[in-house]
Amino acid sequence: MIANALVETESPEEFVEEIQKAQDCLPKKIDANPKTVEKGLAKLVLTLIELIRKLLEKQAMRRVEAGSLSDEEIENVGETLMKLENKMDELKGIFGLKDEELNLNLGPLGDLM
Amino acid sequence: MKLYLYGIIDSSDEITDSIYGLEGSGVYNIPFCDIGAVVSQISQPIQNVTEGAVLEHEVVVEKLMANSTVLPVRFGTIIDGRDSLLSMMQSYYKNFKDNLARLHNKLEFGIKVIWPADKVKANIIKVLKKDGQKTLQSDNSPSKRFVEGKFEEYKIGKEFDAKADKFIKVMDIFFGRFAAEKKLVKLKTENLLLDAVYLVEKDKQNDFREAFEHIKSGPPGLKYLFSGPWPAYNFVILPKKSGLLTDSQKTDLLGKVIQDQMLVGANSI
Repeated sequence: MIANALVETESPEEFVEEIQKAQDCLPKKIDANPKTVEKGLAKLVLTLIELIRKLLEKQAMRRVEAGSLSDEEIENVGETLMKLENKMDELKGIFGLKDEELNLNLGPLGDLM
Repeated sequence: MKLYLYGIIDSSDEITDSIYGLEGSGVYNIPFCDIGAVVSQISQPIQNVTEGAVLEHEVVVEKLMANSTVLPVRFGTIIDGRDSLLSMMQSYYKNFKDNLARLHNKLEFGIKVIWPADKVKANIIKVLKKDGQKTLQSDNSPSKRFVEGKFEEYKIGKEFDAKADKFIKVMDIFFGRFAAEKKLVKLKTENLLLDAVYLVEKDKQNDFREAFEHIKSGPPGLKYLFSGPWPAYNFVILPKKSGLLTDSQKTDLLGKVIQDQMLVGANSI
């Protein structure tokens, strides 16, 4: 059975792949069944931490771009961001989570990150 | 017996065409005042979203579109029975009427555009390197080198975003002038530059289509997907508590239909 609506493209496989990719990176819900509740919660918490970390990083880069940080401040910011990133990698490793898993679909609002 | 709901239409008349929906059941209209809810009987809840079931749903909605304005509801909407359905119709009657008036004589079209993200990024890096402006006085400090690396990524990302905005703006000039409403999503993935849906009046659909043919001859390296006319899945505005439709659910269904259509055909897929 085929609907009448026309779908026209010269690159069907590529579009299927990209649509699939876009859907795959959006977990529909937090996995909180008894067996995996720890990982489900860790995923939620790490997603929120990752969001804050990325916001901090972006804000720092804006300040670097604007030239409003002294050498000493850049040094401090760099050290903080580096430690945060390392800690996040460590935590992701402990809970077996990949970067692309740290996102949430907020429905009509779109993705968290 | 439970009722599977396909959509709300701007007519309380009986459906005279023979339309068959999920489980091969006959589709009929349950009137409420001057509008109606199009349903078929269903024996059990839908466990899995299958290609066949999604297309059955879509085909019913498309058939309804031929003679009515339709508010398509999300795939898998099952109502307990006639009384529950009438109660829901009563609660959302005004909302349904407003949407039906807004969407009257309009169709939805989808435009997706893929760009070569890797090449775009490579070009950006090339230009940035050519400019050769070092913003930070990098010494051997790991912290500063870290910031420098992050700053390079930030500049590339910013330029990548700006380029995406520029392309989308041009494309939207082509399509937007024929649209009553639109929703554009930028960079759903790095390669999927644009995922857009446009609400187009029926008498402008040929113009919209021509705009697509025209843009295809535009910048090389871009790949396009045109789809439609669809029921206005992405333009029905209902309170979330109605449970009938949300943005993500609509998009999921349309995405699924597009993928399914792609898998069953080649040229005019």
